[in-house]
Amino acid sequence: MSELSKFERLTRPHLNAAFNLAFWLVRSAPDAEDIVQESYMRAFRAFQGFTGPDAKPWLLAIVRNATYRWLSNRRRAANVISLDEAFSGPGEKAAEAQFASEDPTPEAHLIGEVDRNLVRRALAELAPVFREVVVLREIEGLAYRDISRVTGAPIGTVMSRLARGRRELRKTLCRLLDEDEPNAL
Amino acid sequence: MRCDRARELVGAYVDGELKDDDCATVAAHIESCAVCRELMDDIRRTSKAIAELGREPAPATLASAIYGRLAGAADEEVAKRLVPWRVPSKVWRQAAALAACCALSVILTWWVMTSMGQAGRLEQQIVAAHIRSLLQDSPIQVASSDSHTVKPWFAGRVDFAPEVRDLTAEGFPLLGGRLDYVHDRRVGALVYKRRLHIVNVFMWRAPGSEDVAPTLATKNGYNLLTWTRSGVTYWAVSDLDASELKRLQGLL
Repeated sequence: MSELSKFERLTRPHLNAAFNLAFWLVRSAPDAEDIVQESYMRAFRAFQGFTGPDAKPWLLAIVRNATYRWLSNRRRAANVISLDEAFSGPGEKAAEAQFASEDPTPEAHLIGEVDRNLVRRALAELAPVFREVVVLREIEGLAYRDISRVTGAPIGTVMSRLARGRRELRKTLCRLLDEDEPNAL
Repeated sequence: MRCDRARELVGAYVDGELKDDDCATVAAHIESCAVCRELMDDIRRTSKAIAELGREPAPATLASAIYGRLAGAADEEVAKRLVPWRVPSKVWRQAAALAACCALSVILTWWVMTSMGQAGRLEQQIVAAHIRSLLQDSPIQVASSDSHTVKPWFAGRVDFAPEVRDLTAEGFPLLGGRLDYVHDRRVGALVYKRRLHIVNVFMWRAPGSEDVAPTLATKNGYNLLTWTRSGVTYWAVSDLDASELKRLQGLL
């Protein structure tokens, strides 16, 4: 079997995951397409060095790196501040410090009527650092160990970012539900 | 377990990522705490919603774009490999350099051997002619110490007019002249005497040759001195010692 068909057999099943991750980091389908293409070229060049049994975290780490490279290039080229950065609010450290003082009462009971549009708006509002772990866990179903391999963060950090990201997401979903259906409650 | 600690861990509990002891503690807490149980249900519902609705599907054309591009790149690689001259490998370059060195060495060796062999063969012929002249009853065909007798004798016998000088006053009496065959040609020979030593001076025309300063060689105990002047090559050979032979050359 040629190197290319071996590569295709291992990487093709993860194409949706790769595109999904890139999309949620740049939030533009055409840009995500470019990034995934570039990532797969890189992955193929690095394929000789790949020995692991599971190609998914390996591949997603390449996609993530390519995405952040692309973002920083674009930022440098355009010399603008990204909206993500401008609206991400307090940094991660402050966010984690807040964590312990959380209101013990659940924000609201989410009902099955959250639609696709709401979920996507809520995800988009998350700061990127939380968004990527939420996407990797909730959509891609990666284990914490694999998320740690993709993001390069320790497992403890993955766990706290995920808890924080989920909480933010629930809050946002509740707020959006209230806004969309002010008369529902 | 306190509620705030449990709230931190309940997500990981839902994900099945807690260690056994933590897992049991959180499970026990959730059993007894309605608020945390509520939170767990919320997390599960949100997870489910995101998993079902959050995915952005890849465009249908993406896979063919990627693997088509990779196959194209791979074809180019193969094409490059099929034309070895375009990308000579290190091994090939080294082999070529080695072959070039070998060829150069062979050519140089051949050139040195043949040129040396020619020079050596000529010296050998000169010495043989000299010895042969001594084996005869007389080394000369025209006996005269008079240059005006010897020089005209050569006319019509060799293709040039040799300079013939009688050097009796200088201690090199001229015995006469002779024809010989050296170097695949007919050559003239002048025979001088120095005390009991016989000196043969072979001469032949060397058209177009530059003047060459005298060089001394020794073969089988005989001294040989050769030079070229005015398009004539001279070989003086004798058992005289080298300095006296050089003196004769200076007088000629």
